[in-house]
Amino acid sequence: MSSTAAAAGHIDHHHDATTTTGIPHKKLFMWAFLASDCMFFGSLIATHLIYRLHPPVGTIDPRDIFSIELTSGSTFVLLMSSLLMALSVNSIQKGNVVTTRKMLLGTIVFGLIFLGGQVYEFNHFVKVGGLTLSNDVFGSTFYTLTGTHGTHVAIGVLWLVLMYIRTFKPADDSAGQGWILRGLFHFLTFTALVVFGMYTLLALIHAFEMGHGFGYYFSHHLPSFTGSLALLGGLFWFAKPRGAVDFGEANAIDVESMGLYWHFVDIVWIVIFPVVYLLEYVVLP
Amino acid sequence: MSDTASVASSEAHAHESKFHVFVQLAMVLAIITGLELLVIYMPLAIWLIITLLMAMSAIKFVAVIWVFMHLKWDKRFLTVLFFIGTVIGSGTLWALLLVHGAEASTPIGPAYEELG
Repeated sequence: MSSTAAAAGHIDHHHDATTTTGIPHKKLFMWAFLASDCMFFGSLIATHLIYRLHPPVGTIDPRDIFSIELTSGSTFVLLMSSLLMALSVNSIQKGNVVTTRKMLLGTIVFGLIFLGGQVYEFNHFVKVGGLTLSNDVFGSTFYTLTGTHGTHVAIGVLWLVLMYIRTFKPADDSAGQGWILRGLFHFLTFTALVVFGMYTLLALIHAFEMGHGFGYYFSHHLPSFTGSLALLGGLFWFAKPRGAVDFGEANAIDVESMGLYWHFVDIVWIVIFPVVYLLEYVVLP
Repeated sequence: MSDTASVASSEAHAHESKFHVFVQLAMVLAIITGLELLVIYMPLAIWLIITLLMAMSAIKFVAVIWVFMHLKWDKRFLTVLFFIGTVIGSGTLWALLLVHGAEASTPIGPAYEELG
């Protein structure tokens, strides 16, 4: 029934007459979870603000270590990732799997850029600012709040990658469960590319920061560079079209539920950005 | 046959217009983020800056849940459900800030005393 409807493109994505509430169960569950997560983040933000309003003597001045340019860039990236996520849901609701994949990949890349920015920021705070989780109450509340948000982003990225791989499940059941093994290798390739790609990118930035240039970089990091290229090639190979797939408009609710989670991560940052970062430049002691 | 074609055409149009709404909203959100940055460097009263920051944050918050998260097109029950969590979460935040902002809540002890 649903596949017939999907083929005709007439699924009502906002209502489900088969449930008692008229709302798809997955969507209802996700909204209930997000409502509870609001309370969780509300408590974390309150805790951070309370301790910021009563700083102990000798506490680190956040303005000395914050980089408003970096944080603004991260905020912009997360906003744009939300746009790509919305477009991804829009595409799958039209049954356009290819565009959905592209939008999912874009969301993953933007999510990884945000996470990379957060890793760089934390590293900078610890090594340059001397702010750790335990040596200052500001560090404790700041890392707990932004770290919890970062963990949400990381879970979101993992979910996006798994959904991306899921879009390749073949429609032909005679292929057996071989796609699971291929999906597993697809996932491993993706993960390895993220790790190697980040390593090789950071090494390149470091080489230029030290004034060494490409010559030094390639003489010291050629294996990781070629490895990243090989993994990228692997990712293209896995993404090669192999016939009809068991993924389409009927799966829109799965993509939409994931999208709700991703947008929630964005709206939490919409609150954290002014409250934790911008207010430091205006009013906090 | 023509009815089916007409329904498909109107749905395609709805999806197409959603695409434009999403892109336009993202541009508006980016502009508001830029304004947030601008406001903190403007020579305004602190209360006004805080009010502007909170207002812009609230606008972005509502815009994302209303359009990107499809509450505009979904059943009202979901809006009510989510706002129950939001109201309890933000209510807890304000209550804690008020309690800890009271004079009797000012922390005391060596860590809070200026060194001679």
